[in-house]
Amino acid sequence: MTQSIFSWLDERLGLTAIYNTVLDRKVPKVNWWFTLGSASLFLGLLQGITGMLLSVYYVPTPDHAYDSITFIMNGVQFGWLIRGLHHWGASLLILTAFIHLLRVFFYGAYKYPREFTWFTGVILLFGALGMGFTGYLLPWNQRSYWATTVGTEIAGTVPVVGDFILRVLRGGTDLSAVTLSRFFSLHIWIFPAVIIATVITHLYLVIRLGISNIPDKDS
Amino acid sequence: MKEEQKQEYKRKYEQAKQDGVKFWPDIIYKDLLMSFGLFILLVGLATFLGVTPQPKADPSDTSYIPRPEWYFLFLFEFLKFIPGKIEWVGTFLIPVLAVLALFALPFLDKNPLRYWKNRLAGISIMGVIVLGMVGLTIRSVITTPKQEEVPIADTIQEQIILGQEFYSVYCVECHGPDGEGGEIAGVEGLEGVVLKSISSRDEMYTRSDETLEAIVAYGQQDLGMPPNGLAYGGELKKAELEALVTFMRYTWDDRVDIPEDAAAARAIPEIKEGEVPSYEVHISRIAQRYCISCHRPGKENNEYLMGTYQEILTTGDNADNNMIAGNLDSYLIQCITGESIFDPETGEEIIQQMPPTKLMREQYIKIFEAWVLNGMPETAVEAELLTSEGQTE
Repeated sequence: MTQSIFSWLDERLGLTAIYNTVLDRKVPKVNWWFTLGSASLFLGLLQGITGMLLSVYYVPTPDHAYDSITFIMNGVQFGWLIRGLHHWGASLLILTAFIHLLRVFFYGAYKYPREFTWFTGVILLFGALGMGFTGYLLPWNQRSYWATTVGTEIAGTVPVVGDFILRVLRGGTDLSAVTLSRFFSLHIWIFPAVIIATVITHLYLVIRLGISNIPDKDS
Repeated sequence: MKEEQKQEYKRKYEQAKQDGVKFWPDIIYKDLLMSFGLFILLVGLATFLGVTPQPKADPSDTSYIPRPEWYFLFLFEFLKFIPGKIEWVGTFLIPVLAVLALFALPFLDKNPLRYWKNRLAGISIMGVIVLGMVGLTIRSVITTPKQEEVPIADTIQEQIILGQEFYSVYCVECHGPDGEGGEIAGVEGLEGVVLKSISSRDEMYTRSDETLEAIVAYGQQDLGMPPNGLAYGGELKKAELEALVTFMRYTWDDRVDIPEDAAAARAIPEIKEGEVPSYEVHISRIAQRYCISCHRPGKENNEYLMGTYQEILTTGDNADNNMIAGNLDSYLIQCITGESIFDPETGEEIIQQMPPTKLMREQYIKIFEAWVLNGMPETAVEAELLTSEGQTE
């Protein structure tokens, strides 16, 4: 019975082919440092799931953002856990992604033929930092308000176009409901879209080229 | 990279693969274990450290020390080393060059070797950069001054209690302990002005929280009410204004019920016959509601402060006579029972009735009298001892 269901599905979905190319393949022997890429992926997925759950109650307006988070923390069943995971997960993700980068650097894994994989990885790192920067404002507390004020001010010091960038980021001269709305949109739509597309490319390349090996003394 | 080097790499990599393991289950197993470990770590962090509550964003409070997420601190600290005139070098030029270099690393690094000992230059440069980032982060954490703690009232109960404290300090002297209004007495510049009630049903049913907050923040400056919000020159931050409004709403609006524990935390307990009241349980709460609005630093009050037990007993121009244990002629008792104090030499009135507009409820006056008669105990324990002594005699 199970066998016939499987072969029916396999005939249509090509499950065996996927199993053979993705899972049942030989890779070089590696150490624990090589788990940080998949750990970053796992943390990214966790951020996605907890983020979606938070968006059920979170309201991205200056009048309600703070109170909606207070409600998530105090009024929603396990709201504190979901927010706690999202909050700490963000920091941990940056950490694992950065150490992953250092591992790749140390073993020279960015060299031929994995230059493009490195390229997508750097995009992902900055994607994560962008998520951190935009997500920091969303609780609309003192810390986030003033950090974003200073952060956007820094963008404003860029020669010639600085003032323009500042206005685009803030949606005006000062932080306001428009800024919060823009950061929210960046945080839940624009950055995730870029990140998901880049992660898919990154994973495709990792499977296509194989996990890099630990270089020996002569290489 | 030359063609033969590419071929050489491919050959070695194929060999490593042959000597290697299966992606499933060997690699996946390690990956899952690592991810699971991190998940447990995260649950632990969320449970035991949680997310530290921060006060609500307040554009008027510019005293707040901005601090970004920890992973941006190194950049923040780095900027301090760049002179203001060429700020853009630190905020734009160097970061952009660094980002470009990171992207272009595979093309900048033409060394075909991969083992770290064969790439000492590259490894050293990266090492210095990473150590620099860590060092700058640590330096930033150490040198940033600690943020002054602001009380955060998250629950309705906490807000009501905090709001009442602000009401006592900033509002009572004109609006009265229950918002009843009346003729103002003893307030410089507003002497004799008659205020309507701010706790009436008319008032509560027709003013939204936003309106109340705006009135408290901006004041009614044409009518003489000073601003209280930081944005308009007052002392209260946004979150504090909100707490104050929450207190008003829950205390005076008969459409909302005050939560039980909030009611209990601020109630002034009654005393039974023969029970000795204490500062801790009774006097502090009465003083907070009726007295400290004027009897705090910076007000015209004969230097008599009532914020703490020590202040009540020892401060003021008439400190010797204000509080005399066991003596109902203590100035304070005379005042709160409606009498004025005259200078024994000149015959001039030096203290008027207290509170100036309207005496406190009879039961609160009785508590003060019982307290003075029993030697003004500070803690509930002392008061209880005195009570039981009184009963055995």
